[in-house]
Amino acid sequence: MTERADKTIELRVLRYNPVTDEKPHHQSFTVPYTSDMSVLQGLQWIKDTIDGSLTYRWSCRMAICGSCGMMINAEPKLACHTLLRDLAPGPVTVEPLNHFPIERDLVVTVDDFVKKIESVTPWLIPKHPKPVSEGPYNQTPAQMAAYENFSACINCMLCYAACPQYGENPKFIGPAAMAILQRYDGDSRDGGSALRIDAVHGEDGVWGCTAVGACSDVCPKAVDPMHAVNQNKMNTALDYFLRFLKKRDTK
Amino acid sequence: MSERRPYVRPMPRDWWARWPFRHYTVRELSGVTIAIYAAVLLSGLVALLQGPAAWDAWRGWLASPASLVLHGALLIAMLWHVRTWFQILPKTMPKLILGGTPVPQRTITLIGTSVAVICSSALVAFVLWRPF
Ligand code: SF4
Ligand code: FES
Repeated sequence: MTERADKTIELRVLRYNPVTDEKPHHQSFTVPYTSDMSVLQGLQWIKDTIDGSLTYRWSCRMAICGSCGMMINAEPKLACHTLLRDLAPGPVTVEPLNHFPIERDLVVTVDDFVKKIESVTPWLIPKHPKPVSEGPYNQTPAQMAAYENFSACINCMLCYAACPQYGENPKFIGPAAMAILQRYDGDSRDGGSALRIDAVHGEDGVWGCTAVGACSDVCPKAVDPMHAVNQNKMNTALDYFLRFLKKRDTK
Repeated sequence: MSERRPYVRPMPRDWWARWPFRHYTVRELSGVTIAIYAAVLLSGLVALLQGPAAWDAWRGWLASPASLVLHGALLIAMLWHVRTWFQILPKTMPKLILGGTPVPQRTITLIGTSVAVICSSALVAFVLWRPF
């Protein structure tokens, strides 16, 4: 038997239309819900029955594509992974991810985030390249454990919305980019860390982090980006000192 | 295609005083305790250099109610700092892998905190009982 949606909850959604609105404003909707409905389904109900212009991103509705990140009651969350029944009796505020420019309603600009991910050379660069005929690159469970959690990132940007240092300085490389960097740097088969070290150095690199730790708290995939950032503080310090030795070697 | 006019929301200047960052702010501020206590010890050293009268005055100040309140406050802040410092310790060190699996961060925190508690208690016991 299907459950009837006889309970309702108020969603206070931040709306912004770049053509007509000077700045964003909240709009309230009363949404009927069942116990298995997510915030994303609440938004879909609004779009289908009340206001077709409500704009938000989503795709998989199962916490794997990373599209539906938004601030739900001021916390960065995946809308498909947050149940309305857990937010009852409401009202629930639904806003676009913090620290990113708003394009329209709940959709934010992702360009900066994508550039940051690209800047860490996010692919494996084999330490010892070999032809396929020589078989796979083997790895022990311990070698895999060194990077496995960092490989679980779904690029949802919740960690950037949680990070006050990124909010203060949008140039800061930020949590997920460092988690993704560590996913490759920490891989025993990879030999590309020299290509990635520039993203780690400097004012806008890992030293912009003051160990607030909110990124790891909000991550829906237990990636622990704070650990990746702070591990790389050690790497950049070592690289800084070893650089002098390396330069002498090349002469 | 409609017009693009991305709206940038301002960052509140007092973010550090707000939930959920208050915990972080208190943790960082509790670290100032060490600097304050170092200043207390340093002033004692200066008093010692200045001679017996200054030294006695400094010891007199240590026993005053104001100093006792300060030391009580410093102790509470220090205990909080120890607790939270070991909470983030596993995030600031390289990943520990033992026998093919990562050591849980809770275990690292527990071991670190226990070592700190045991060492501090041993020191307090040593000073109170003065075996020599
Ligand atoms: S590290 Fe976690 S919170 Fe950040 S983008 Fe990846 S999955 Fe999302
Ligand atoms: S819709 Fe894919 S993560 Fe929510």
